[in-house]
Order: sequence, then structure tokens, then C-alpha cells
Amino acid sequence: MTETLLDIAMMHSDALIQRAKQGDQNAQGRLVQLWYKRIYNFAYKFFQDHDLAMEASQKTFISMCRSLNGLQDVARFKSWLYKIAVNYCREETRKKKGNRSFSFETVWNRDAEDSPNWESSSQRIDNPEKQLMQSELSDILQSALMTLNHEQREVVIMKEYEGLKFREIAEILGISENTVKSRMYYGLDGLKKILEKRNITKETIGYEL
Amino acid sequence: MSFKPDEITLMAYVYGELEGEEKEKVEEYLSTHEDARAEIENLQTLRKMMGSVKDKEVIAPPIFVGDNKPSFNWNSPYLKTILSIAASLLLIILVGKATNTQINYSGGELKISFGEVVKPKETTQQVASLTPEQVQQMINASVSQNNSAIQANWQASQQALDASIKKNLMANSGKIDKLVHEASNASKDQIQQYVAGLQSENAKLVKDYFQLTSTDQKKYIEDLLVDFAKYMQQQRTSDMQVVQSRLNSLEKNTSVFKQETEQILSSIITNGGNATTSKEARNNY
Repeated sequence: MTETLLDIAMMHSDALIQRAKQGDQNAQGRLVQLWYKRIYNFAYKFFQDHDLAMEASQKTFISMCRSLNGLQDVARFKSWLYKIAVNYCREETRKKKGNRSFSFETVWNRDAEDSPNWESSSQRIDNPEKQLMQSELSDILQSALMTLNHEQREVVIMKEYEGLKFREIAEILGISENTVKSRMYYGLDGLKKILEKRNITKETIGYEL
Repeated sequence: MSFKPDEITLMAYVYGELEGEEKEKVEEYLSTHEDARAEIENLQTLRKMMGSVKDKEVIAPPIFVGDNKPSFNWNSPYLKTILSIAASLLLIILVGKATNTQINYSGGELKISFGEVVKPKETTQQVASLTPEQVQQMINASVSQNNSAIQANWQASQQALDASIKKNLMANSGKIDKLVHEASNASKDQIQQYVAGLQSENAKLVKDYFQLTSTDQKKYIEDLLVDFAKYMQQQRTSDMQVVQSRLNSLEKNTSVFKQETEQILSSIITNGGNATTSKEARNNY
């Protein structure tokens, strides 16, 4: 993950959090601006659904503003925020009849696979089309992510895309660090198997990822 | 090498959260195990592929939390207590005002009244007219009377106490003396008896012992003598036997010799020619 200006701002927001904690509405607004993208993307990868992701992130930030003054340790803000987000994501999942994880067969678009696009994307091609291929791969990965159970999905997203430490994830989920690593392992294993089943490997994708 | 990294260690390694000795161990293991290295490579490839999923851009909607004003906190427990105390004090004051309560403290007495203050009547009538001198006299008289009575009492009891103590002492010392005397007498007799008993017992014991040993010795010596006599007898008989047998053999020899001489003599007599040869033969023999 390349560090953007936003990331740097997020790293050094202790003073901002302190002010927001004391009820400074301006600071709270800034905090929302800083973190909204991260929480939204976490929720989006979790749900594969823009509306649900928006709902969960908005609830997360409303809750954040309300209970910020109960936060003991400013340094724990990040895991605290993700904890709220995870809880709302789980709540949404329960609301939507519990089962938001589909089997890969239902998520997978077979027509797309047979289409000429797919044919070309599975071969080695030059730069102009690489863009397209990347977005295709991204879609496949996102669908593959949805086939994991939500426990593995949470961990994989937090580790791989949110760049949290195993220790932080353990704190957020309230489980042991070893359980987190184990879930991560089986999550990755699951993804790998799905990709292998689709014959997507290093060779078919190309070397310059 | 028995170390084999489990999935947990492997995960920590892939994400660079392994340090020190553990990391070295894993690296050592990987350098010797082709398959494990391939697995790690696969995981890294997968991670690269996952990297193709980019973040979606999103604009944060304005979030207003209307009810989160830094307003006056009515829920603070101290504030509640203080306010309730103030309110009850105010109530008490108002009630006091309405009922016209009067509270007075003067001359060692507290007076609470509703409405007008009622002055209590003066109750300071003198009962009798005794002069201070008379009172003093009365007091003095009674005190001195008391004193003398106490003195008399005290002396009497002192005397009685002394007498009883003396009597007691006498009686006790007499008794103790007697007891001691008795005890000493008794003990002397007892000791004598005991010693005599001991002596006689000892003498008896020694006598018994000597008697026993002497009889034993006697018996033993008797046995010894008998045994010796028996032995001597045996020895003699055996000696006698030996002598007898010797004598017998000697007798036999002489008889044989006799016969031979007889034979030789007869042969000499019968054939004189052969006499020399038979003589030689006998010499040879």
C-alpha cells in the first residue's frame, strides 16, 4: 500500500482525535473525512454491495461521534473504529438473512467466462489490454472473497487491504492472535483453491503484476 | 531437524511479523525444503494478485450528530446530590417562614415555637429561710459524725482482722510443723524398711545364684569324671585286646617254629645225607 497524504494524516491524528473526543464538531467532521474511505472500502469488500457498505460506514461514524468521549486510549483509535465497523457489518449480514456468502458457482458469471473478453484476458497480452485484465482479475478476486465465510473474510480484508497487524486484528475481533493467523491461512488457502480451479495462476496472469 | 513451521508461524512470516530466532528457523527450514518454499511463493503470488483489487473512491457524506452537543451534564452524580440538598434546605426555610417558627437558644435552653414566643413564668420562690452559717454547721456536724463512725468501724474491723490473722498463723504453723515431723518420721521408717528389704532380697538373690552355680558345677564335674573313667576303661580294654592279639601271634609263631624244628630234626634223623642242604635251606629261610 503506497502511503498517500491521507495515510500520513491518518497516522498523525492523535491531536485531532483528542479534540474530537472533547466534543469539537469540526474535529469530528475532519476525522470522518479522514477515515471514511477506509471504512467504506472495508465494508464494500465485505458486502460486495455499495448500498450496504454505505449504510454500515455511516452507522459506524455516527456511532463513533456519539461514543468517542468514552474512548480511553487515543492510540487505540484505529482498532476501536474497526471494531465498530466490524460489528455493524455483522449486524447488516444478520439482517440480510444471515447468508451473504454465496458459493462461487452462483457468484461466478459463466457467460463472461465464455465471452471473447475472457478468452483474451487469459492469455499474455501487452499493456493496453492489461488494464482490462486487471479489472477482470479484480472482479474475480472480489467474488472469490465472497465465497469465504465471514470470519475468514473479515481477517483477510483487514490484513491484506487495511494493513492491520495481526495483534490489532486480534484486539478488534476479541480473539487470540493465533486464531487470527489460522483464519488468515485458511482464508488464503480458500482463495488459492478457487483461483486454481479457474486456472488462474502466475503463468496465465503474467509476470508483471 | 525436527522443526516444521505450522500455518500460524508461516502466516506471521509471510506478513513479516516474525522476528529473531523464529524467523531464522523458518528461513533455515525453507532453504532445505523445496515444497515449503514453493508454498510461500504461491502465497506471495496470491497476495500480488489480491493487490489488483483497488480501493474504491468514495466521498464521505456529511455526518451530523445533532444530539451530541457538549451540553450541561445533568447526569453527573455530584451535581444531583448537591442540587437535592439545596432544594431540601430551601423547602425547610419556606416551611419555617410559613409557620412562623421561632428557634431560640438562651441560658442553656433551646426553645422552638410556632407563632409568638411564650415567655415561661418565673418559678424562683424560696422554700425555706436558712442562713448559710446554719447550713454550714449542719454540714460540718454530719461530716464529723460520719468521720467518727467510720473511724470506729475501721478500728474495730482492724482489730478483728489482726486477731484472726494471728490465730490463723498460729494454727497453721502448728499444723505445718506436725505435718513435717510426721512426714520426716514416716520417711525415715520407710527408707529403713526399703533398705532392709533390698538387702534381704539381694542376699537371697546371691545365695540362690551361688547355690545354682555350685550344683551346676558339681554335676558338670561328676559328668566329666564319669566320662573320663569310661574313656580310661575303653582305652584299657583296647590295650588289653592289642596285647592279647600280640601274645596270640607270638604263640602261633613259636608253635610254627617248634613244628619246623621238629620236622628238621626228624628229617636229619631219617636221611643224614641231606642234612647239610636242609641246614642251608633253613639258614636261607
